[in-house]
Amino acid sequence: MARGDSDLSALTEALSSSQISKEKQPTDPSNGDDAGGVQITCFSEVVHDTTTLHFQIMRLPKQIYAWIGCNSEKLGHLYAAAPTRPSAVSVTSILGGTSDNTGSGIARRLVSRTGLNIILACNIPKNSPMIELDAEKLLVQKLLNLGYIKPKSQGS
Amino acid sequence: MDSSFPVPHNKFSLEIKGNKTDVVICSYDDHFLVIATQIGTMGTILQASKEEGATFNPTFSVSVIFGKRDEPMLEACARQLVEHISNSGSSRPLMLSLGLKDHSAETLKGVVSAVIENRLW
Repeated sequence: MARGDSDLSALTEALSSSQISKEKQPTDPSNGDDAGGVQITCFSEVVHDTTTLHFQIMRLPKQIYAWIGCNSEKLGHLYAAAPTRPSAVSVTSILGGTSDNTGSGIARRLVSRTGLNIILACNIPKNSPMIELDAEKLLVQKLLNLGYIKPKSQGS
Repeated sequence: MDSSFPVPHNKFSLEIKGNKTDVVICSYDDHFLVIATQIGTMGTILQASKEEGATFNPTFSVSVIFGKRDEPMLEACARQLVEHISNSGSSRPLMLSLGLKDHSAETLKGVVSAVIENRLW
């Protein structure tokens, strides 16, 4: 029926215009080409004049993989973290990290902020809370810049 | 590829059996990381390494460290890749992440050949 059709097309139009806006594509100049669903961003920062932190962020459609290198290019400890209930986060160490779980805190806090599954590889030496803090700050800043996480002020 | 960043990587996409597959290969100091995903996440993570002290006819150890532990084809894929790494002269272990929609031999072969073609070792 003609009337049914026009109602349907009006409904479709209304639905598509009220669609939740797509996440904005990052326009990060540093190697952030997004052909193929995986966006990779790499950057390095020097902290405390002595420590070089390297960061690698890979944005998969439903997961983020991040690597933090502290003065070295080793893979380090690998952690997987995910939101388990609406308000709970679980972290597990999948490589290394038995007595030294530097990085698990970062993984946990990343999940709290992004709500996404996170795989974090981190080779920050243990007992370096300042470096951990700086690394986390820089990582979160970059994730904000890239639009992977919303700023806290815009509500969760 | 960003040549000034200390960890080189290769990223590409291909179709295997009609499924779009994103592949990333990274070369760390002490590992090679290979991610092949069709499902939007890293999926199952395996580690494959060469046994110590083996010069010719080396033996390899492959284990799933995260994810599906009942898919032998995934371990076979890791085994093939780590052997290729070893034959190319490197003793670095492999961290392989496979997020695939099917675990058929054809898919895994497709992944292996795509990775070898674009390898960093």
